[in-house]
Amino acid sequence: MSNRLIQNSSNQRDARRARPVPSSLLNWLGVLPFFLFIFLFVFLPSFSLVSGSFQDRQGNFTFQNYLDLFSPSILSAYWVTIRISLASAVGGGILGFFMAYAVTLGGLPKALRNALLTFSGVASNFAGVPLAFAFIATLGRTGMVTVLLKMAGFDLYDRGFSLYSFWGLTLTYLYFQFPLMILIITPALDGLKREWREAAENLGASSWTYWRRVALPILTPSILGAMILLFGNAFGAYATALSLTGGFINLITILIGSQIKGDVLQNTGLGYALAIGMVIVMAGAITIYYFLRRRSERWLRV
Amino acid sequence: MSKRNVLWSWFWMFLGGLYFFLPLLATFEFSLKARKGVYSFLAYERVFADPLFLRTFIFSLEMAVFTALAGILLIFPTVYWIRLKLPQLRGLIEFVSMLPFVVPAIVLVFGLIRVFSGAPFFLTNTFTGTNVLLVAAYVVLTMPYLYRSIDTGLQAIDVRTLTEAAQSLGAGWGTILFRVILPNVRVSILSGSFLAVATVMGEFTIASFLVGIRAFGPYMSLVGQNKTYESSSLAIISFALTWAFIGLIQLLNRGRVQTQIAGAH
Amino acid sequence: MTYLLLSNLSKYYGNTLAVENFNLEVEQGEFVSFLGPSGCGKTTTLRMVAGFEVPDQGKILLEGEDITQLPPNQRMVGMVFQSYALFPNMSVADNVAFGLSVRKMPADQIRQRVSEILKIVQLEELQKRYPYQLSGGQQQRVALARALAIRPRVLLLDEPLSALDAKIRVELRAEIRRIQQELKITTIYVTHDQEEALSLSDRIVVMNKGRIEQIGTPFEIYNYPQTEFVASFIGQLNLIPVQVVDRERGAYRIGEQTIQIEHSQRIPLSDQPKLAIRPEEVKLGKVDGWNQLTAQVRQISFLGAIVRIWLELEGVPLLLDVFNERKLELPKVNEKVTISFPYYACWVL
Repeated sequence: MSNRLIQNSSNQRDARRARPVPSSLLNWLGVLPFFLFIFLFVFLPSFSLVSGSFQDRQGNFTFQNYLDLFSPSILSAYWVTIRISLASAVGGGILGFFMAYAVTLGGLPKALRNALLTFSGVASNFAGVPLAFAFIATLGRTGMVTVLLKMAGFDLYDRGFSLYSFWGLTLTYLYFQFPLMILIITPALDGLKREWREAAENLGASSWTYWRRVALPILTPSILGAMILLFGNAFGAYATALSLTGGFINLITILIGSQIKGDVLQNTGLGYALAIGMVIVMAGAITIYYFLRRRSERWLRV
Repeated sequence: MSKRNVLWSWFWMFLGGLYFFLPLLATFEFSLKARKGVYSFLAYERVFADPLFLRTFIFSLEMAVFTALAGILLIFPTVYWIRLKLPQLRGLIEFVSMLPFVVPAIVLVFGLIRVFSGAPFFLTNTFTGTNVLLVAAYVVLTMPYLYRSIDTGLQAIDVRTLTEAAQSLGAGWGTILFRVILPNVRVSILSGSFLAVATVMGEFTIASFLVGIRAFGPYMSLVGQNKTYESSSLAIISFALTWAFIGLIQLLNRGRVQTQIAGAH
Repeated sequence: MTYLLLSNLSKYYGNTLAVENFNLEVEQGEFVSFLGPSGCGKTTTLRMVAGFEVPDQGKILLEGEDITQLPPNQRMVGMVFQSYALFPNMSVADNVAFGLSVRKMPADQIRQRVSEILKIVQLEELQKRYPYQLSGGQQQRVALARALAIRPRVLLLDEPLSALDAKIRVELRAEIRRIQQELKITTIYVTHDQEEALSLSDRIVVMNKGRIEQIGTPFEIYNYPQTEFVASFIGQLNLIPVQVVDRERGAYRIGEQTIQIEHSQRIPLSDQPKLAIRPEEVKLGKVDGWNQLTAQVRQISFLGAIVRIWLELEGVPLLLDVFNERKLELPKVNEKVTISFPYYACWVL
């Protein structure tokens, strides 16, 4: 918390001193390159997608593309994507939370905490093509774990499991989801002041009561916010799914990808609508995340 | 700390550790099986002998370095300027730096192609043009972490006082920025750069649509479709690379927790 | 029967001594301060009473009951933390009610008790506010109310005012004493601020490096310190090297000048005996029946209510405090003056 105090006072100090300086036009010139860049490479593409989504094949204005989003195949694609994102967000969130708890408040040696954080930094970045290969080598038909289990008498694929399915992909996604959760939630867990626990005990609360009435309520915005982030992360993922399933599972990102390549649908307007639909979902996710973060920061400004 | 609690902690660590390491182990083991019947590094030898490997690796590395440089050149002066002269824009910049999360790679590349492959830019007609577009796209993609690192670094020093001191000694903006401020935020900038480079090296989505198998990510994918053992060894190489970068970052940061949203998926 | 008995408490962290041989008897309704520099063990001892640290040796008896091994949530002692430790996710009323709701008190009784206790700390109107909306002083009052709501047997305060502005600190200090006396609650107060300890306490425990230096009333601690540490830690103290002439009769020598002391036996003599006397006990000019010495004025500082005169006595600095008065006549710098002090107001260490 003291870091935040220093942060705030540094911002205030810089801001306070900066106020007497008039914001002349020259000052705005200094930020011109940045905003120009953003305009060119973020807004232009986005607007172009928006405009494209309202055009039909002849270039006339239409809402049809958005209406087509509600066609059964597209809706099922959305549903699959949402389900995978939810599953990996919740799964990764829970596993990540408990692991983060284990190394912060769980009484494990400090060295383990640093190791876990470093590893999480690596693992959350290890996604896409190599991750897919890694999981094929582990749980594919001739993967190491599959073979080991078969030797122990437990045939995964006979029992209906397949890596190239919904759950297989979810499992693979978890590999970068739960480290991300660890990275996001560890500062929040660190922020649980020891005195809160002591005050609660001092007032007669058991450990469970403390968690139920103080710690979890305080952590909930952070946990939820982190899971929202995880959701968004999975929702926008493309490379992993493509490498693992070859486009077999119809995720929205895969659909958009085939649009760019010019396959199948041949309706670019629809592709743009899909893309914009995705942006809307992500924007919604990040708005909720911001709101939750504001909430918890406000409480913790104490 | 009760014994039972610590036991649970170890349980979760064990579970997580298992999940972390099994895939790596499996991949490594698989990559050693290229020669029938014995463990060998044949797959690795074949990969390193492949001229395409070196070419794509170097290409992606170049793009990564350009991305880091361009990103820093763009973001560092801007964040500095805002801290100094336009503090009211701080919230806006922070919001902007989160935009790449709202526009995931697949959507970004879609829009970029639509805008820049035609008039008036025609960027995709030449290799150079495409590379420029690639670097621009990567700068957008890595913006959240670059911004966060630079902002954190500048947060910790008194930007205004340093600037005023330098000005009173006659320094111009260039000198101030690169000889006074930059050395003091070196660690943050370096760690942000490493993160950017690590991201770009393995990136697939944007690379596959813009440059195809000239980049490392799509190259790995191509190998994976044909040669299973080599793909595993590539996965291990890629992991070792990421580990090296992130390890360097951790070394630089020592204890501060760096979060990154949206890696190279 | 002593209300709260701390018997032979010791606590070590690895090889480092935190507290050793701590013995204290506290009467019901007494206000006792633990006073000492950082690291002297005062907070550790307090936390042992609260149950957050377990002593390696010794016992704690509360109303005759041995609570040494009792977990903190069963002790019925109320603790006020230095950082307030209010639960940020709960309103003021919920914070104060927390201990009561844990005990499953019926809701209307809780409401009544919360109002009652908030009235005592004068924060009734802020019931619905959240901690982040309160000032530091208000938060501390809520923390106090929260600890008092459960009617604890002992109230423990760990440097509760050190995070506050000076002015608020003085106000709140008086409040705390008033409430304590009104409720007649046994209180232990940890602080490094002597003014707080001296002004609030019935008794003070002065600690240093894990051990008790002295236990006494504020008056005793200030005027009859038993160790050199206590003497120099509390208030200002002049220390002037002396030579022994006749210890039995209390005769000593400073340079060529001789002095006479009454309490020569009180403190064991160290290798380098020193005369200890408070600045306010030294007077300018000749006073009959008192020790009289010659010194040279070096500097005069105007501190507001007090004027502090820095003298040099046989090459050693000596501080002299006089109350500021309109018609005060002060000597000039470098002037040689006579100073006097009574034989009963000083001692030799």
